[in-house]
Amino acid sequence: MKPAQILIGVIIATLAVTAGFWAAQAVLKDRAPRHDLSATRFPVARDIQPFELIDHHSAAFDQDALQQHWSFVFFGYTYCPDVCPTTLSVLNGVAQRLQDVDADVRFVMVTVDPERDTPERLAEYVTYFNGDFLGVTGSDAGLTQLTRQLGILYNRVEPEDGAAGYLIDHTAGVFLFDPDGRYHAVFTPPLSADRLAGDFRKMLQDYQ
Amino acid sequence: MNTIKTGLLTTLLLACLCMLQAVQAESPIAIDAAWIREAPPATSVLAAYMTINNASETDQQITGMDSPDFRSAEIHRTVVEDGVAKMLPVSGLDVAAGGSVSLEPGGLHVMLFDPQRPLREGDTATLVVHTASGAAISVQATVVRKTGDDAGHDHAHHHH
Ligand SMILES: [Cu+2]
Repeated sequence: MKPAQILIGVIIATLAVTAGFWAAQAVLKDRAPRHDLSATRFPVARDIQPFELIDHHSAAFDQDALQQHWSFVFFGYTYCPDVCPTTLSVLNGVAQRLQDVDADVRFVMVTVDPERDTPERLAEYVTYFNGDFLGVTGSDAGLTQLTRQLGILYNRVEPEDGAAGYLIDHTAGVFLFDPDGRYHAVFTPPLSADRLAGDFRKMLQDYQ
Repeated sequence: MNTIKTGLLTTLLLACLCMLQAVQAESPIAIDAAWIREAPPATSVLAAYMTINNASETDQQITGMDSPDFRSAEIHRTVVEDGVAKMLPVSGLDVAAGGSVSLEPGGLHVMLFDPQRPLREGDTATLVVHTASGAAISVQATVVRKTGDDAGHDHAHHHH
């Protein structure tokens, strides 16, 4: 063998080892499936493509706003008297139960009714449940940018009597984003504070 | 003097009791634990919950509700289909003989539109329940603030 061939061999071997190392890393990063979660957790958390919305302080709420902390995100609207207040109450219960965890955990309601839910209205609504909750609204286009990648559906239903205002059928799950700003897991109804908080503790353990 | 007073009181009491019985005889439907979820600020749509009991030996049907304290009231059922929550109007709510139906968060509820006066925690509002047999049962519902900080009282516990 010529020295050049040896060199090429060494380079190929090194590359192979490196590739193997990275592959192993990727596999290790794939969290082993647990059977004690009621949440649906992705083996590999999903990247979020850019979207542009605003929070109830009228500050930008985009993909970067999901970075460096955990976010429980719910999609609803303030004219919803049953499912939405019930879910926000559950999320407040989750917040109470997670007060002792060593992680920054935030709670966000994104409106599927940007026409009626202004930042001011959302501010009053979400903080009624918990002073730290954040309301998010924006343009229809901005909302679609986010909901499409999460598979969220919402559909306006006009009332029969015409006077009561429209209702909106909407995905009622709670979406969990990790501190990498990735879509980590989803909780589907029926939701309970015990279940969400318990699952979160396990997922936090696996993440660290 | 005292005997006359006592006699009068007894007569009055008896009269009251008779009237109560008359009202009860009119409908076998009795409403329990009616409450209204306090509306977060700036909201004009609320929900009421209750248990409807049918003590009789015949099936009963609730055909609707209304309220002098709201512009309108509708019975709805929240259903989740493929993860999507929808509220469907309920035109007739059957309460089987000797049975009961619970209206509770995330399921059956009375949707209340536009309160006619501010309703805060501890206030009461009147709801009128109509039955297919033509009875109208008036219920006082208490406004309750529910925001979930009552850790440990998790209603979804019962669902597993
Ligand atoms: Cu409803």
